[in-house]
Amino acid sequence: MLQAHSPLWHYLWLAPHILQVALAVLIWRRGLHKLFPVFLAYSIFEAVEEFTLYGLDVVPWVKDETFWKAFWVGLIGEGLLKFALTGELFRHLVQPWPAVAKIGNQLITCAGVVLVLVAALTAALTVPANPNWLISGAHALQQSMYVVESGLILFIVLFAAHFRLAWNRQTFGIALGLGILSCEHLAGWAIIASGILGDKSELIDFFNMATYHLCVLIWSYYLLVPQKAVDKPILPPPDNNLGVWNRELERFLQR
Amino acid sequence: MTLAIILVIAAALALVVILRVTLSRSLQISGDASLAGQIQPIDIEAFRNLVDPDENAFLRRRLSAEAFRAVQRERLYAMAAYVRTVGRNADVLIRISQSALNSSDARTVDAARQLVDQALLLRRNVIFALARIYAALAWPTSGLAAGSLLDSYERMSGSAMLLGRLQNPTAPVRISAS
Repeated sequence: MLQAHSPLWHYLWLAPHILQVALAVLIWRRGLHKLFPVFLAYSIFEAVEEFTLYGLDVVPWVKDETFWKAFWVGLIGEGLLKFALTGELFRHLVQPWPAVAKIGNQLITCAGVVLVLVAALTAALTVPANPNWLISGAHALQQSMYVVESGLILFIVLFAAHFRLAWNRQTFGIALGLGILSCEHLAGWAIIASGILGDKSELIDFFNMATYHLCVLIWSYYLLVPQKAVDKPILPPPDNNLGVWNRELERFLQR
Repeated sequence: MTLAIILVIAAALALVVILRVTLSRSLQISGDASLAGQIQPIDIEAFRNLVDPDENAFLRRRLSAEAFRAVQRERLYAMAAYVRTVGRNADVLIRISQSALNSSDARTVDAARQLVDQALLLRRNVIFALARIYAALAWPTSGLAAGSLLDSYERMSGSAMLLGRLQNPTAPVRISAS
């Protein structure tokens, strides 16, 4: 069951990306691409990348080297799109609030620089588990990419929590899925890159693919299922003392 | 191998934090009626006195260097307590005004939006002010100017008052004493 080329393996590799294509079509039809153009681009790119890699993997006459070269190309494109997607999420979160937009942009830039340095350090410290640099390099690059990605998502979540910034439903769903995906993939690729599991590292592939499937379902739910209409009570203001406030403001204005 | 273990632990912790923060936020009832009761009135005059540079100069003239450092340290602790309370009030006001953002009245929404923006600015300034106060605790004789924070707080209070008037003209708002 948990072997490469088992029915579950085929399902987990293909199904999330078929779902993702359907999601991309529905995003386009519902006009959500105007709000989340990068997420749409990411969904399409990810699906095309994975279908290509799947094809290269199952076709017997394709050389391993060709597969890994394609993997590298996909990885670099996917990485760039994921960073752009993180930026898109952050923009959605802070754009309505100019008071924190500037400091937020400065802080996320600083966090990004620090995370890139940490990622470079982890890549340098990783002992290659595979003698073929195409493979070990790809593993180290995946690990580094997810160090930055999970760090940025964590930063965004904590920033929003500190300032009590309200997420809209779609942004929340994309961020939640991306957060789960990047943290799980970081752990998974760190294990694969280190070679701890040896021949059993295929188990991590299954775990990665299952997590991706879950995240596509989360994105589909938050992007496509409308929010239930809940009558949120509009609170009365806190109890009162306008006279004192007026006197205080007048005193302030007269200074 | 050690690096892999560190990264796995870091990833697990990050995932727990992300899930905890996001899920607790999504489950939060924004219209919690007890929120307003969490606002703590602040004595603006007392705070203004604490950040007054003339008051500092006066104390410096009247006290010995050692006594001045001790007094100044106490004043800084008091200032930090005020600033933290200001931050908590801003936090509560953000939550209250976010519920008002759903109002059908455009003026209430505008007032709520303005209040949230000012409260966010204040939350930001609180971070800087606290950093400055804690830095000054290491060197109590340095000058401090938290005046801009005070101005922000007063602007936010004005917005809270406006929002209160729009939502309920008969029940005004108080978020500071004096």
